[in-house]
Amino acid sequence: MAVNAAGRNIPNNIPGYGDVLPFRGYTKRLPKGNRVGKKNRATFNTRTDKTLPNLKAAIKASGLQIGMTISFHHHLRNGDYVVNMVLDACYELGIKELVVFPTALFGVHKHLTKHIQKGVIKQIQGSVNGPIGQLASEGGMELPVVLRSHGGRPRAVMSGDVHIDVAFVAAPTADRYGNLTGAHGESACGSLGYAHTDADFAECVVAVTDNLVNYPALDIQIPQTQVDYVVEVDKIGDPSGIVSGTTRVTRDPMRLLIARYAAHLIEASPYFKEGISFQTGAGGISLATAAYVREAMRERNIKGSFGLGGITSFFVDMLEEGLFEQILDVQSFDLAAVESISRNAKHVEISADWYANPWNAGCVVNMLDTVVLGATEVDRKFNANVNTEADGALLHGIGGHQDTASGAKLTIITTPLLRGRIPSVVDSVYTVTTPGEVVDAVVTEFGVAINPNRKDLIEAAKSDPEIPLVSIDDLVEKAEKLTGSMTPVEVEDRIIGVVEYRDGSVIDVVRQLKKK
Amino acid sequence: MRLRRTKLYLPGNNPNMLLRGYLFKPDGVILDLEDAVSMSEKDAARILVREVLKQGEFGECEVTVRINGMDTEFWRKDIETVVPCGIDGIRVPKVESPKDMQILDEALSEIEEKAGIPVGKTLIFCLLETALGIWRAYDIATASPRIAGICPGGEDLRADLKTDRSETGEELVGPRRIVVLAAHAAKVDALDTVYADVTDDEGLKRETQWIKQLGYQGKSVIHPNQIPIIHAVFAPTQKEIEQAKKIVAAAREAAKKGLGAVSVDGRMVDKPVVKRAEYTLQRAGLLEGGE
Amino acid sequence: MKTAQAGTLESMDCLVTAGEAEKGRGISITMEGASVARFGEAILKTAKETLREIGVKDIKLSIQDNGATDLVLKARVEAAALRLLGGDRR
Repeated sequence: MAVNAAGRNIPNNIPGYGDVLPFRGYTKRLPKGNRVGKKNRATFNTRTDKTLPNLKAAIKASGLQIGMTISFHHHLRNGDYVVNMVLDACYELGIKELVVFPTALFGVHKHLTKHIQKGVIKQIQGSVNGPIGQLASEGGMELPVVLRSHGGRPRAVMSGDVHIDVAFVAAPTADRYGNLTGAHGESACGSLGYAHTDADFAECVVAVTDNLVNYPALDIQIPQTQVDYVVEVDKIGDPSGIVSGTTRVTRDPMRLLIARYAAHLIEASPYFKEGISFQTGAGGISLATAAYVREAMRERNIKGSFGLGGITSFFVDMLEEGLFEQILDVQSFDLAAVESISRNAKHVEISADWYANPWNAGCVVNMLDTVVLGATEVDRKFNANVNTEADGALLHGIGGHQDTASGAKLTIITTPLLRGRIPSVVDSVYTVTTPGEVVDAVVTEFGVAINPNRKDLIEAAKSDPEIPLVSIDDLVEKAEKLTGSMTPVEVEDRIIGVVEYRDGSVIDVVRQLKKK
Repeated sequence: MRLRRTKLYLPGNNPNMLLRGYLFKPDGVILDLEDAVSMSEKDAARILVREVLKQGEFGECEVTVRINGMDTEFWRKDIETVVPCGIDGIRVPKVESPKDMQILDEALSEIEEKAGIPVGKTLIFCLLETALGIWRAYDIATASPRIAGICPGGEDLRADLKTDRSETGEELVGPRRIVVLAAHAAKVDALDTVYADVTDDEGLKRETQWIKQLGYQGKSVIHPNQIPIIHAVFAPTQKEIEQAKKIVAAAREAAKKGLGAVSVDGRMVDKPVVKRAEYTLQRAGLLEGGE
Repeated sequence: MKTAQAGTLESMDCLVTAGEAEKGRGISITMEGASVARFGEAILKTAKETLREIGVKDIKLSIQDNGATDLVLKARVEAAALRLLGGDRR
């Protein structure tokens, strides 16, 4: 056992994971050696059609064997049919003990539970949520879940930590020679950002599409040079679960209040000036914060450089209004974003590597001025937890949380102080996802706490009487006074989840819940 | 002088709003036992409001409770429950008679005495929601020294006036003028009724500008999102602030020197003008070391 | 069995159902909701204290919690118990 830089006591070796590199600080771990790569291959004019009749044929052709690693991307979100379809086919083909390596999983993937129980899936390296997370938390998986951020994942692939045997790329549009795009088709999802590294590094790449078009496809995102096989299926997803309608700003007064405080903090910061860049999530508070910031940009006649991240109609409107020069889009959340990416040259698709990988010559998060994030918990040291819920269950992935927080000059976590009776600012978070050293401020309806390391920001915030400055300890005490103290989560020793920092070191682990 | 630009109604049976309403920083909160609570929930709301008051966390808000009308069976129980918790005041609906205010005053004194609260501490705000109430506004406002503000009604008043809501609000122009006149004559605050369309920010702004011009000190609020809009209307202009600073500084200087008269830019200013200047600074959040 | 309810299932509230219990059977409490995992003991303690304060010795309570803090829980338990047993016991 060793205590890492986030103060967590982590074993030196975790069964099913291997040796542990303890987290030492957000810039501490540097890469050694070269990147890995897939085997060379040659294709001649003797083969100009990569389609195969069905998924099983493609799985057989891919050479997938028992115990191998398969990867997926999550741009189809809760509308995705491909993950379930592929695992059903593997089950039917008798291919077992697979390591599933998705960029994220959603509620719709509850279907995998049965494949976990039947041994088709041995391990999940990626986010688990809902029923699968609950199953894992209760000890229902043989090997621990390994969680990586959106930037940590391509790093793990390129450095060789994870070798993808077969990548299944859900493609809203594909041609017979393997050019893929998310911009068109009935299942259009816009950006295919998270799939790029997989397409580049997987030993074999299988595209699954429901819109096979004449060569060459329009607005190609993943090129033919990376794709080995193409399979046409009836439907790759349910469009209503893939993209939402227009994203609207909340009218909920509590969310608006928190958002207003966050926006005031951004405006008071030194980064609120010509060329500002920012990222916000699509959640209620994040989006409302963006709405207030947009108002302030208009009033003070400030033009931003770029908007980053998961993109909604809200950012598209800002781009079209001229409040941003460009949008850099790793994932498109709604219809307006999907439409924009295919027609507006200033709306650019970027890969997860480009977006957030710490081990390349420069990812976009490093250029970010400010990011507004959420969390299930934050603690006195500003450590943030986005993985586990109050009952100790591992229910959420990391997303870009670690990456944007470590890259942005101003990282703001917005959260109501209480969710029901559950406090979100606590003495010590149950799981450290993002270390406090990269979190600058916590904004709640009861006040704004700025990391004491950011004296400059505290001074800046004092200039605006609308910002209710408090200390993080004030927030902890306020929450505890309202809720009373919690009884600890009861756990077994067995580790069911490993939370990697984006550099591949281990920042925390999640243990199995005790049976009640 | 207490700022009463916004008073936010908090439904008496809704824990979420009761506990967090003050965070929206209205000048006051009104824990509502009357219209926001159905007949069958009066008992549960009274208990809940009592517990919330005992906890006593309301930031800098003036804390009042709207009790049930004196024509109901509930009002006595309401005040017996909430007054011992040490609130700033009660808000009484459908007031029509100065006599009722005297009865209420006596009832409050009795409860205060029993609870060890300084007699007279609990203020009364009267809602004048009928034609008769409006007509007797001055007599009601002067019926007890506890009365700190009077407020015209909205929907109930329209019904009593045998009219309905119009786009311009024409039907309430007269009552609002009467109430503001009576309030200032009686030296109590004139507080306006709510603006019911919570999604119409522009309409709220227009109405607030108008009632401010009439002489109202503030407005009741039913949705937190209305608060910043009203505060913005009541915020003094930079010019007003500069002038007020000068006047307040001159008054302090005069007081320090023991002078009775205050002079600004060579002109004498009266005491009410000084008070007005202090009020201006207070609204701007700039009054220091004053009252 | 005669029962009475108080509260709601709105956020930060709870719905308390009180049922009659025979004399001498004491207090029995069941509870469900997201907070129970971390606040179960606190919920029990508050409910029992509240019943003691209003002098109720025999009762069955079922608490469906949606994030009520102690003071809300207290108010709901008291209201439900008083509705069941009648009168103001304070």
